[in-house]
This record gives sequence, C-alpha cells and structure tokens, in this order.
Amino acid sequence: MAEVRVENLTKRYAGAPALDDVTLDFPDGQFFGLLGPSGSGKTTLLRAIAGFVTPDAGRVLMGGQPVEHVPVESRQIGMVFQSYALFPNMTVAENVRFGLDVRRVSGPEAARRVGEVLDLVQLRPYAARKPHELSGGQRQRVAMARAIVTRPRVLLLDEPLSALDKSLRLDMQIELRRIQREVGITTIFVTHDQEEALTLSDRIGILRDGRLIAEGPPRAVYAAPPDAFTARFLGEANVLTGTPEPGGLRLPGGTLIAVPQGTTAVAVRPEHIALSVAEPAAHNRIQARLVGRIFAGAMGTCVLDWHGQQLKVTDRDQDMAHLPDTGPVWLSWADDKTIGLKD
Amino acid sequence: MLARADRGRLAGLLAPAYLWLTAAVFLPLSAMLWFAFLTDVPFGGREASLTLDNFARALTNPTYRILLGKSLELGLIVTALCALIGFPCALVLAKAIRGRAREALFLLVILPFWSNSLVRIFSWAIVLRGNGVLDSAVNWISPWPVDVNLMFSQSAIVIGLVHSYLPYMILTCYLALQGIDDALIEAARSLGAGPLRILWRLLIPLAAPGLIAGAVLIFVPVVGSFMEPRILGGRVGTYFGTVIEDQFIAVFNWPLGAALSFCLLAVVLVILAIAAPVLRRAA
Amino acid sequence: MTLRIAGRLWLALVLFFLYAPILAMAAMSFNASPFYQLPFTFSTEWYVKLAGNAEILAASWQSVWIAVVVTVIATVLGTAASLAFFRYKFPGKRLLQALLFPPIAIPWLITGTAMLIFFFAIGIPRGAPAVIVGHVALAVPYVIVVVSARLAGFDPLLEEAARSLGATQWTITRRVTLPFLAPGVIAGGLFAFAVSFDQFVVSYFLAEPGDMTLPVLIYTAIRKGFTPEINAISTIIIVVSMLVMLLAARGFRFGGDR
Repeated sequence: MAEVRVENLTKRYAGAPALDDVTLDFPDGQFFGLLGPSGSGKTTLLRAIAGFVTPDAGRVLMGGQPVEHVPVESRQIGMVFQSYALFPNMTVAENVRFGLDVRRVSGPEAARRVGEVLDLVQLRPYAARKPHELSGGQRQRVAMARAIVTRPRVLLLDEPLSALDKSLRLDMQIELRRIQREVGITTIFVTHDQEEALTLSDRIGILRDGRLIAEGPPRAVYAAPPDAFTARFLGEANVLTGTPEPGGLRLPGGTLIAVPQGTTAVAVRPEHIALSVAEPAAHNRIQARLVGRIFAGAMGTCVLDWHGQQLKVTDRDQDMAHLPDTGPVWLSWADDKTIGLKD
Repeated sequence: MLARADRGRLAGLLAPAYLWLTAAVFLPLSAMLWFAFLTDVPFGGREASLTLDNFARALTNPTYRILLGKSLELGLIVTALCALIGFPCALVLAKAIRGRAREALFLLVILPFWSNSLVRIFSWAIVLRGNGVLDSAVNWISPWPVDVNLMFSQSAIVIGLVHSYLPYMILTCYLALQGIDDALIEAARSLGAGPLRILWRLLIPLAAPGLIAGAVLIFVPVVGSFMEPRILGGRVGTYFGTVIEDQFIAVFNWPLGAALSFCLLAVVLVILAIAAPVLRRAA
Repeated sequence: MTLRIAGRLWLALVLFFLYAPILAMAAMSFNASPFYQLPFTFSTEWYVKLAGNAEILAASWQSVWIAVVVTVIATVLGTAASLAFFRYKFPGKRLLQALLFPPIAIPWLITGTAMLIFFFAIGIPRGAPAVIVGHVALAVPYVIVVVSARLAGFDPLLEEAARSLGATQWTITRRVTLPFLAPGVIAGGLFAFAVSFDQFVVSYFLAEPGDMTLPVLIYTAIRKGFTPEINAISTIIIVVSMLVMLLAARGFRFGGDR
C-alpha cells in the first residue's frame, strides 16, 4: 500500500503533448478516478505510472520513492487491462497464480492465496476453466483477482469495464468498489464514462489535452467545476454567457445574476432548474421557449430555446406533467446552484 | 444443397485442378505402390511378377535401416538448429521492430527462401571448400595458418540445409508470434515477470503451433533430401534419399526404389499425422 | 534495453548468414580465377563465356518457357479452384482442401520418383511435357493459397448483388470478381513461375538427359566438376528469382490493402 504522486509529468508524441506538466497526488488506499475525453492523456498517465511509458520530463513517486527509472517488473503494481489480457494457455487458477510464481511463493501458500482471492471475486468454482470458457464479466473478475493477489502497492485499472454491456457494467462497478474497499489498495481507475467515475471514486481528476484541469472529491468537482468544459463533461450543464457588470453578470433578457467579479458565464445543472408557466419569485430567472419533451421513464428532460441556445431541464416526469407542450416558460434556480465560470 | 446449375459450375471450376493433381500426384503415388510389389520393371519385354521381396529388402537390410536412421537424425539436427536460430529472429521481428522496417526486414529474410535451392547449396560449396571464401576469410583474420575445408562433411550438409530451410521456421514462428496480443506481454510484466519467464510460460506455449508447423515443414523434406548431401557431402553424403535417387538414376532398380520411397512416405505420414491435430487446433 | 540490442544483433547475424554465401557466389562470378579461389581479380569473362555456352543457354531457355507454360496453366487451374472454394459450400470441401497439401508436404523425391514411374507406365516419355505436368501439379496448391488469401478480402455480397441485377455467372466473374482478384492472381502466377523455374527435384527425374532444365544442368555439372560459367548463371538465376518474388510480394501486399 502506498500513495502515488506524479510531478510535472510531460510526454510528447510526434511533437504533440500527450501529458503536459501534470502534477497529481493519489492518496494511499483511495479510489481515484482519472477522467477525460479520448486523447486527453489519461491512459498515457496511467501507463507512465505503470512504467510502460517513460516520461520526457517529471517524476513518478510511489511511497515517496522516485520510480521513473525502475522497470515495470519491479514496481510492484497490479494492472487490469481493457482487454483483460488473460493468458489463454493457462487456467484461471494458473493465471491468478502467475504473479505469485514470479515472487517464488511456494505451493501450499500460493494455493491458499489464490483460493482466497478467487473467493473474493466469487469465482472459485471456475478455477480450472480456461479464459475462453468464461464470460466477459467473469474474465474481468479474473483479471482483478490476478492483479491483487500479489498485494501490489497500487492497482491500475485501464477502462476495465468498457468492454461490458450496460447492466453488467453496473453490477461490476459495485463489485469493483467492494473488492477495493476490502483490500484497501491505492487504486487508479481510468475511464471516459463520467458517470462511472462519479460512482466509484473517492477522488477524481479530469484531464484534457494532456493537462489536469480539475481535481477533488466527486461532489466537490461536480458542484464547482472550474470551467465550462468540465461543467459539461461531468454531468450536464447549461452554460449561460452574459455581460459582466458591477453587480454581477447581466444575461440577455435582463436578469442580473449575483456573481463575483471576473465571472464571464454561469452554469446551472438541468436538475437544479424549476420550470413554471407563471413568472416565479426567485431571484435567478430567465424566460425561454419550450421546444420539446423527452420521456425517459421516471425522469424526463425538457428542451428549451433561449436566445438561440438550447437549454435542458430535467426533473421527475410527473412533476413536469402540468407544463404545456410548447410555448414560453420561466426557468428559475436557487443562488447556491449557480456555478460561476471564468473562461 | 446446391442448385443443379451451381453444381455444374462447381464441378467445372474444381475439376481441372483436381483432375490434374490426380493424374500428376495421386495416380503416380498409387503406381509407385504397385511398382513396389514388382520384381522388375514390367516393360520392354521384361517379365515381372508380384513379390514382397522389395519391401523385405527395404525393411530388413541393415544398410537401409542405418541410412534411414541417419536421415532421421539429420532431420532432427537441422530442425533443432532452425528452431534455435529462427525463433529468436521471429521474436525480434514480431515484437521488437515496428512499421516499415519490419516489413522490409521480413521480406529480406524470406527472399532467399524463394530463390533456387540448388544454387544456394552451390554457393555454400564455393564458400566452404578449401581455399574458398571461408578459408581465406579465416586465414585473413587468424594469426597462424588454418586449413578450413568444411566441404564433404556432415557439417557442410547441416550448414547447407539449415541455410535452405531456416526461412520456413522464421516465417511460421513470425506468423504465430505476431498473433500474440502485446497486452499479454504487458500484463506479464506488470505481474513482475522478467523476459525469460515471459518467454518460457507465455511466448513459447502460445507460439507452439508456429514452431510445430515449421518443424514439420523442415523435417519432412530434410529426411528425403539427396541433392544437398550429394553436393556438400560427397562420399560422406550417403543418406536414405541418395539411395532412393540411385535406384532410379544409376541402378535402375525401380521396384526397390519404389519400396524404399514408400517406407519414407510412411515415416512422413506418421509425422504429419502426429502433428496434424496440434496444427488444426491452432488453425 | 540490452535485450533489444542483442535481439537486433542476432537478426543481423542471421541475415548475414542468409546472404553471405549468395553474395560470395555473386562476387566470385566476377573473379578471374576458375576455381573460386582468392585473390580477387575482377573479370567479366565468365559472363562472356556464358553468352557463348550453347548448352547453358539452351537449358535456360528451356526453364523459362516451361515456367511460362506452367504459370499460365497453374494460374488458371488454381484460380478456378479458389473461386470454387470461395463461392460454394459442399460436402467434402474440407477433404479436398486437405488434399492440396500432399504435393507440398511430401518430399519431392517421392513425388518425383512416383511421377517418373507413372508416366513411364502410361507411356509418357521423359521430357518437357512430363516436366510441365509435374510442375503444374506442384504449383497449383501455391496458386490456390495465394488467390484464396486474396479472396478472403472479397465481399461475397458483391457477387450476389450483381446476380440480383441479372448478370450471368460468367459476366459476374469477368467484371466483378476477377478485377478484384487481379493482384492475387498475378501474385499467384509469380509464385507458380518461381516454383517452376526453381524446381529441381521433379525436373531431375522427369527431364531428358539431352534436354534439361537449368537446375538439372547445374546439378549434373556440379557432380562432374563445374565450370565457372555455372557460377555466373547461378548468380543470374538468384537475382531473377528474388526480383520476381519481390514483385509478387509487393503486388500481393499492396494489392491486398486496396
């Protein structure tokens, strides 16, 4: 178990920076979600921590010790790959035991630990099967078991759930979290699925174009994204731009939103907006034209047109039943739900 | 099942090739089997009757058995050398080199394989003989005079055969290794495995079909070779293949030659039968 | 890192091993010494002598025209068979495909001697026709492998679409399938040419003493004690073979990427 830290990590491929001066702490024993669109550098960062990528500049530290020059084999990591990379010529038990064989753990001891970890992932009856005889979810669990049986200092997960279909993915998310909590290893988890990151992580970090743009506990980053991109990437956001004035931000249509100086836009989450036909009393209110309704079961989304920009509001479907199909409506939200952005 | 017209077309497309193969390969093999049971070549006024003599001679004559053993041993040595030399090459090509360089190098390795094998053996005859290129090269380097004449020795035969068949092994191993996902190697490294362990527990087992395919492609022709032993081995170059050649070209005892050929064919078929399930599973 | 360097070094050594004798032979063909001995004095006299050596020229010509005939026949037969395997499913398909291996897998010594016996038994004399028959049988499996590989990238639905538009089978083949197949057919043809031109064992048993193909001539010359023109013609053969294969590989690979 160890904390991991990267300092000023930079990596360039053919001139373009895949990682641009990234400094990040991964606290001991915590589940850290690395999030970002494709090409953001999150996989490069993970591989740099693993040792498959040698950074052009910067340091990687595990347990306080620099490891940039330590080869992959000696870093004491556990890694789960997107394709699981189970050894096809070995059984489940042999796959899991592989890391113990490397560390020369003896027969009975190795068998005991393999059995333990297979129990943890609930796959002991499958110990003699070969990978091609397993389903996707089972393979994923074997990959997990194989990675943690060696008690690594840090567990690195490279989009381990993206190959699974939706319902299985949700189950596996819960499994993953449970296993991690039980074992308590520092875990770094890369995904492009922001919902997944929010569900699983103790802390998240958002990368874009190789740079770290946001970091912190999920709720905190969700409630206070630093820029419009993050606001839209993590959850949904309606970004309203206006003209800065001494009192705050003047939106088209007249409303003045009270925000600190320097704010050029505000974001409001769709679930924080209330819709009404009559003008509400709330301080933050704008008028827009209802253009459509999307029914999604328990929840629903209203699509509105506000000065040519599309806005979305989500609520429980039953609470929106009273609204007309189209026409002018009022949107309002509480002060503390205003997210100020300085782009 | 196929429609009438389709069946006609199918036959039309397949028949020519397979009729040709039947006439040129399968019928001849049957004819050879028949010949093996004759006492003499049954044409030109000669009398011929059925006999088991030829097979008896083939199987009981100690010379033939020794020579068959010699040929099998040669096959094993050459195959083993090709595996030891070729597998690392294939590994480097498949895993350590990327892109256009890899394509170019692969082509370079395969090219000699497609040139005339006789000419390549001949080139070794030039290099290996006394006062030849190798002799001169060694003497040029070494401070005292050395007589390097490898010609007409088993070493020469082995060198020539390895040179001829090495590309086969490199090709089959390369194809097998290329199919191994890089992520598997990374996973093994992440678990702490060093190169030797990765080789032993991962690469060789997964590339085994390539090794076996290469072994079959090399062992079978080597066991039946006669041209290389003759040219490079001279008097030392008597093998099962050369004996068969003699029956047809020098001694004109075709029935005996046929019987010996069939013994060789039997050995080859046994090897193919053993290797087939492994290869089919891989394919 | 050192592993990487060691690996590359090994590859370099193997390449050296593969090409050294060929290069040595080529160099020696330009050497004045008639016994392939150093010291080296540059001379093209062997190539000049080669041009005047009727026997070798006749054998070269024999090899070439036989190879051309073999190429045409084997390519047609092999392409037809490949199309059959591609288009149709039928019982015994597996067996037929497996039967393609014996010509390649069985030592040519056995196939060659068997052909010798059979042709003799049915009255076909040794000589060019017998050699052609033998070569085609050896070349067809290679053509099938190459053309089938190219066909693997062909969408069978294209033929179905053409048929639904009313085209006859022959038209489909001519205007839809063959154009796509062309690089594969050409590559297969080049393979067939190489197999025939380089073929020694089968030719050895089926050729007439007075009317030999080039490899057979070289072999008998070596057995007797060679003349240096053999060196020159050998160098030429190797260069030609490699060029042909280079063409085949480029056509095959890049054609396949289209």
